[in-house]
Amino acid sequence: MISRLKEKGAGDLLKCIQCGSCTSSCIVNAVNEYFNPRRIIGSIVRFNRLPDQDPWLCSSCSICVERCPQRVNPLSVIMALRMIKYENGDAPPSRVFELIEQIKKTGLAFPLSNEAYEKRRSLGLPELEMDEESLKEVKKILSEAGF
Amino acid sequence: MTLYLGCLIRTLYPEVEKAVYEVLGRIGVVFEEPKGASCCAPLGLFSLSKNAWLRLNERNMRLFQSTVLTVCDDCFASLSDAFKILSEKNNVRVPEVKPFGKFMLEKLEEKGLRFSFKGLRCAVQHSCHLLRPARNVDNAENPMVVKNVLEKLGYIPVSYVSELDCCGGLVFEEKMRNAIARRKAEALEKSGADCVVTTCSHCMRQLKSVSRLPVLHLAQLSALSMGANPEEIGISEILLRRMVNP
Repeated sequence: MISRLKEKGAGDLLKCIQCGSCTSSCIVNAVNEYFNPRRIIGSIVRFNRLPDQDPWLCSSCSICVERCPQRVNPLSVIMALRMIKYENGDAPPSRVFELIEQIKKTGLAFPLSNEAYEKRRSLGLPELEMDEESLKEVKKILSEAGF
Repeated sequence: MTLYLGCLIRTLYPEVEKAVYEVLGRIGVVFEEPKGASCCAPLGLFSLSKNAWLRLNERNMRLFQSTVLTVCDDCFASLSDAFKILSEKNNVRVPEVKPFGKFMLEKLEEKGLRFSFKGLRCAVQHSCHLLRPARNVDNAENPMVVKNVLEKLGYIPVSYVSELDCCGGLVFEEKMRNAIARRKAEALEKSGADCVVTTCSHCMRQLKSVSRLPVLHLAQLSALSMGANPEEIGISEILLRRMVNP
């Protein structure tokens, strides 16, 4: 499992000494102790088991990366777990696909609200529309990635 | 200079976009905005395909002819991470990516600018992706860039407990996202500040949804100090009344 995680960009998990600096800095753990980066890495390196915690709960704030004394990069492990779970058929939050669909539609990840549209006009801001050629290129990249 | 505003500011916060144009115009920065640039697809949000992320930003990079100024720190992180990988992979020169806070500090120092005292107390929401992991923009454990800019602009940066905490804006699960936001909003409210200031549009959106304090982008306060019309850049009457020299 470790080599599969590394293929997906995970850092050097075997350097982890289970000190818990990641968990004690983790904002998600501070509101819900179920999410525990130290245990996520522990279940992989000590028990060779895919952790049961949901990697999509991570806020990607990267404080675990900054503070890890062993330079393990716990965030990279969590991101790799997202990819592996996806490949194993575990659906990510539907919001992920909504964002991707929106990029395919307009090139931007968020739709323009009516309120913002009116405000843009009244402030004399430039048109948002992406040219067709560019949008085609963006769609192609995303569809080739399977989206 | 190439201006990269990002998705959220253009679709949700036109007042911030207006403020950015005001600032660039007033300090005399010539810039271009490539029409064909797409979302930078930050990995924290998309995560499913590193390759698609890299290709989208390789495409963006081809459109950028000069240093890229980002107005959202998530864009800053996504673009600079992607460009670094592309530079190593293809052994090519890549454009520098500069976050708005750092850009302002450099410009104010270069031109020796200081603005009249406004007496507005500002609590900074430091965006995670500007600081971490060590991006050589600011001190990750004691960030000062945005605070120094605020001081030069005539505002009072205040320190508070949990200053480095993430706002939770990129958490997908709603209950968890809201719990983290409320925790952060409480800390901000206890700081005694008149408003919250950030340089990340995700922090802006997240905190605006829960905070009793007004949440502003640094660009808005920059434009205000430089004399822009407060109404156009989204500065409310209530906030103006709290200032010494509005």
